Amino acid sequence: MIVVESLCADRCGTRVLADVSLAVAAGEVAVLVGPSGGGKSTLLRCLSGLEAFVSGTVAIAEHRLTPGPQPADRLERIRRDVGMVFQQFHLFPHLTAIGNVALAPRVVRGLPAEEARDRARSLLERVGLARFADAWPATLSGGQQQRVAIARALAMEPRVLLFDEPTSALDPTMAGEVLEVVAELARGGQTMVIVTHDHAFARRAATQVIEIVAGRVARRGSPGELL
Amino acid sequence: MTVALVVACVAPWSGRAAAADLEEIRRRGELIWAADQEGGGPHVFPDPADPARLTGFEVELAGLIAKRLGVRPRFQQGPWDRLPLLLGRSADCVMNGMELTAVRQRDYACSRPYFAYALQIVSHREGPLASPEQLLRAGPRGAWRVGVLTGSAAEIEMRSRDPEAVAVSGFDGTLDSLEQVRAGVLDAAVLDDCIVTFYAERFPELRMVGRSFAGGFYTVLTARDTPQLSAAIDAALGTLVADGTLEALYDRWHLAGRQQVLLVRDATEVPPAPVRGLAELLAGTLPLLLRSAAMTVLLAVASFPLAIAIGLVVAVGRQYGPGWLDRLAGCYVELLRGTPLLLQLYAIFFLLPRVGLPLPPVAAAILGLALNYSAYESEIYRAGLKAVPVGQFEAALSLGMSRWQALCHVILPQAVRIVMPPVTSDFIALFKDTSVCSAVTVMELTKRYSVLALGTGAIVELAAVTALLYLAMSWPLALLVRRFERRWESSGTGPGR
Repeated sequence: MIVVESLCADRCGTRVLADVSLAVAAGEVAVLVGPSGGGKSTLLRCLSGLEAFVSGTVAIAEHRLTPGPQPADRLERIRRDVGMVFQQFHLFPHLTAIGNVALAPRVVRGLPAEEARDRARSLLERVGLARFADAWPATLSGGQQQRVAIARALAMEPRVLLFDEPTSALDPTMAGEVLEVVAELARGGQTMVIVTHDHAFARRAATQVIEIVAGRVARRGSPGELL
Repeated sequence: MTVALVVACVAPWSGRAAAADLEEIRRRGELIWAADQEGGGPHVFPDPADPARLTGFEVELAGLIAKRLGVRPRFQQGPWDRLPLLLGRSADCVMNGMELTAVRQRDYACSRPYFAYALQIVSHREGPLASPEQLLRAGPRGAWRVGVLTGSAAEIEMRSRDPEAVAVSGFDGTLDSLEQVRAGVLDAAVLDDCIVTFYAERFPELRMVGRSFAGGFYTVLTARDTPQLSAAIDAALGTLVADGTLEALYDRWHLAGRQQVLLVRDATEVPPAPVRGLAELLAGTLPLLLRSAAMTVLLAVASFPLAIAIGLVVAVGRQYGPGWLDRLAGCYVELLRGTPLLLQLYAIFFLLPRVGLPLPPVAAAILGLALNYSAYESEIYRAGLKAVPVGQFEAALSLGMSRWQALCHVILPQAVRIVMPPVTSDFIALFKDTSVCSAVTVMELTKRYSVLALGTGAIVELAAVTALLYLAMSWPLALLVRRFERRWESSGTGPGR
């Protein structure tokens, strides 16, 4: 599902990823661990085309990314198949929970408003937030917001789902709620790449753990071997 | 206009007690006389050979009167239709083609006449208007479009005619209406005959239509509580008439001195207008003020959405477009912010006809307001767009939205909430700026006030009524927007998040 070969990326003139290669098969859950500033998040952002890279290749969900800036239409096609969940949730504050989830299917896929809302409702149910469909993001707890964000990403039925430190901004209880949802997705065969510092998270859901230190792959293996 | 309103409102308290009578004028050694040099020749105008110096027959007359009073003359500039407001404050007398009317007789001390005027119709040589009688009925293209000087006897005369026959536009400067006749925007201008004669050479394309008509006299206005000054000016004028000085002066200006002197010598008295109560005043003026308030609303309501639309395009272009677009739009913004609205309106109304794009006054006013305010709107929107966190854009993109979709569905709705308060206050500002549109002859509320204040003499009372009308229109709007903001805040989607 994902093949990265010899990826190099710069940020503000410094090399942050050097010769990174990895492969993630369909239905796998890859967890990226390692010290802060090691390049994990940059790698994730390269996979979704939010950041350009200098050399190497990325193949993801049957799309190919090449070095340098990408044409806009290619990025849009890739992102329809590759969802992203952010550390700071980034819910749309002017829309209710259900509005957040229904927006992209309606706008990008052209789904009728009613159908988009019905599907959004069942997705909110799946992340345990059916009761909060009409709540504004500002009134939800961090854990609830992050679960809405996951439902929002799922609404586009992505073949790959990327998580950028999804629990770093949450206290342990709320992090547990999010982990529950991710574990459930893993059981359902969703391909995921998760950047996290939470080793419990990695042990619970990962099929493959990749440790990235100073922009390079330091170690890789099963959770049992590495953690 | 705002200044005039404030002056008018403060007038009854700060006012006439301070008026300087003859003794004080002698003590200070200066007679301060007020006029508007924009009114033009032959009355008072900048000397073409030395524009820093004023010339005109009234400039010379002021010198002669001051000399007889034993003092020097000092000129005070003011807007023509509000010159009498300066009496007792920054001027001792007003001398600038002020027609002797019943209302002025009632409200001011009017000197004996010093000049006899009559109205003259002017049209384009190639225009269809050839005789004065034609102005009594509609022309081949509907009502005749006629320009006059705001507040002049010509304006009162023309506005008293059937609006089906004559559509009147009031201008602040004499030359403006002649320019518009030359450009073909107006069918005719109606001005005092001495002005027409004076500018005949400068406008060879124009012709006089018929003989002059509806004559009257110019008078020197003084405050009612300076009787010694009024008497001294009367005496001075009497001497100047008797000893031939006035005749010689008018002859030098090609104003038929002999005829003038005979006319002013034998002028009959104009009886003062009756004093009217507030109820009577309002009954006569309020319907007209309300109708013009509707025009003010139309100008604001039509121009602001345009300003927002243009401003939005400019802001998005600058924020998300290529570098050259940012620079181009930046120039647009600075050009419009860096020049006065009045000049922009002039440019649209007076210059576009020259390149073959004549716009009717209301359209020109709406376009001018929209362009001017679009510059301010675009800056506000740019700030609003910048205030939406970049994560919102990334979140939208990573859901597969195009940049355009992200902008429309995610960024703009949030930016709109952020910019709502400054945009509202901009709308209220624009609302009041519509008063500038009178400069391009639109009869909006402030213009109507000027005309009515001049016709009735109730400068202060009507200013208060006009100010209240503006307030009554802008306040509900502010309340409405505050309610929107509260609703957004209570839903937690407001900018305060």
